[in-house]
Amino acid sequence: MAAVLEVKDLEVVYQGVIQALTSLSLTVPEGAIVTLLGANGAGKTTTLKAISGFLPLEDGRVTRGSITIGGQDLLKLAPHQIVRRGIFQVREGRHVFSEMTVEENLIAATFAQRAARSRKEAFDEVYNYFPILSQRRGQAAGYLSGGEQQMLAIGRALVADPEMILLDEPSLGLAPLIVKEIFEIIARINREKGVSMLLVEQNAVIALKYASYGYVIESGRTVLEGTTEKLSADQDIQKFYLGVEAHEAA
Amino acid sequence: MSPLQQFIEYSIVGIAAGGIYALIALGIILIFKSSRTFNFAMGEMMMLSAYFFYAAAVTFALGPFLGMIVALIGSIIVALVIERVAIRPMLGRPFIAVVMVTFGIGSIIRGIVGMIWGPNDLQIPAILSRSPIMLGEIFVPGKTARAFAIAVVIVVGLIAYLRYSRAGVALRAAAADAVTAYSMGIDVRRIISFTWILAAITGCISGVLMANVNTLTPHLGLVALNVLAVVILGGMNSLGGVLIAGFIIGWLEAITGLFLPTEFREITPYLLALIVLLVRPTGLFGTKEIERI
Ligand SMILES: Nc1ncnc2c1ncn2[C@@H]1O[C@H](COP(=O)(O)OP(=O)(O)OP(=O)(O)O)[C@@H](O)[C@H]1O
Ligand SMILES: [Mg+2]
Repeated sequence: MAAVLEVKDLEVVYQGVIQALTSLSLTVPEGAIVTLLGANGAGKTTTLKAISGFLPLEDGRVTRGSITIGGQDLLKLAPHQIVRRGIFQVREGRHVFSEMTVEENLIAATFAQRAARSRKEAFDEVYNYFPILSQRRGQAAGYLSGGEQQMLAIGRALVADPEMILLDEPSLGLAPLIVKEIFEIIARINREKGVSMLLVEQNAVIALKYASYGYVIESGRTVLEGTTEKLSADQDIQKFYLGVEAHEAA
Repeated sequence: MSPLQQFIEYSIVGIAAGGIYALIALGIILIFKSSRTFNFAMGEMMMLSAYFFYAAAVTFALGPFLGMIVALIGSIIVALVIERVAIRPMLGRPFIAVVMVTFGIGSIIRGIVGMIWGPNDLQIPAILSRSPIMLGEIFVPGKTARAFAIAVVIVVGLIAYLRYSRAGVALRAAAADAVTAYSMGIDVRRIISFTWILAAITGCISGVLMANVNTLTPHLGLVALNVLAVVILGGMNSLGGVLIAGFIIGWLEAITGLFLPTEFREITPYLLALIVLLVRPTGLFGTKEIERI
């Protein structure tokens, strides 16, 4: 079964009146890294919340359109069922459980596991990708640095062993060097484990570098899509997302 | 008896009562942690459990052992019905609205119990031995001592279970950040039901213990008012603090009774809770969440 994620013509409304998405469509093929770009408030996080089934938790609702993976309708599933179906979201702002230890954070993610895999096997894999977490395993997650917290958030996804990871602004608030380190590991996870990724980013430079295909959304609708080479060469993208001035590009 | 000896004896009896307070408080805190719901019906749930025990053990003559099992099952069913019918639809509503609902449930339970069993004292079969325990010269009433031991063992056991088990991690995750807990595959609604079950169990055991130490009346649930002071003192989000806070409130109540007219017994726990709230709003043991961006 090809686990293609398909979002079609999605409309999302919060609190019955606030329209956050008007018509959003995107496809994430199996094994790909696809990026979703857009300005603040464009609806990137809302798209991920819709996929993961979080909207009802925030008084939001899908009012039109469909979300399917491998043909299965995700809109009918509760959030915990969607994770167990293999789609893991690493939320914007990392959201580690700050009062729990690193290891307890990983234990929490074992509830998302689909196939039985020993805890040791799962945690060893996390510590293999993120050796620093192994050193910090007994420490409260709230005391980790921002970069380490992002690693832990991705580590929890690894514990779940998903088919697809939804990453919401993993570069947020991190120094360029750390961002690069984290994206290298994301790319490795994608390559080595065949996990597909839907990557939401403000940092278009890095997103276009690591993803193979991209979508640009504005006020809740898809306005541009294409391979990342094509998008990188687009004048509007250069101007609005890559901060390249017209004369520099010329 | 020397004044010192008297002081020690009152202290021991007070602390012993505090053990049961801690057991009741634990039920309140678990529900609060999982869903930010303050369950003011806890005292009445506990009282109802004791009547279940009475009905099973005495009215249906099942004896104390089977009676306890029936009471536990009945208490869990009642808790699950309350959670499902009255609390779950209120999730996300203002805190005070949910509190009012639990108040209402408490009154309904008191009314129903009054209708079925009447206002008079009932005697339940003794499950605790009366024979006193002597600590050197100090005399500790038998029932009180045994009730205390049972309560403390359960409180410590439950806290350890939630500290070290996977279920405990799920509960703490759901308490800290429900959306993220969902994103890890944790079914937060089931966790909330789970805390209501735990509260039903601690409430049932403490209700039967209380009815054994004192007698069974529809007013049994009023001790929950002292438990409120325990919860405030210990800090709403601290499981570990609840035991110490229970001891402190129980002790304070007993000692007040020794030195001051009895009316003060009801006031001093609240005075202390109030002072603690003013000085340390998170309670003695509660913590602010570690914040780091
Ligand atoms: N829980 C909510 N209730 C009401 N409106 C919301 C809610 N969450 C988001 N919105 C609105 O929906 C729109 C899209 O928000 P969203 O969080 O999806 O944007 P975003 O593209 O992720 O932005 P950012 O880059 O700032 O994270 C915004 O106008 C926002 O104000
Ligand atoms: Mg966002």
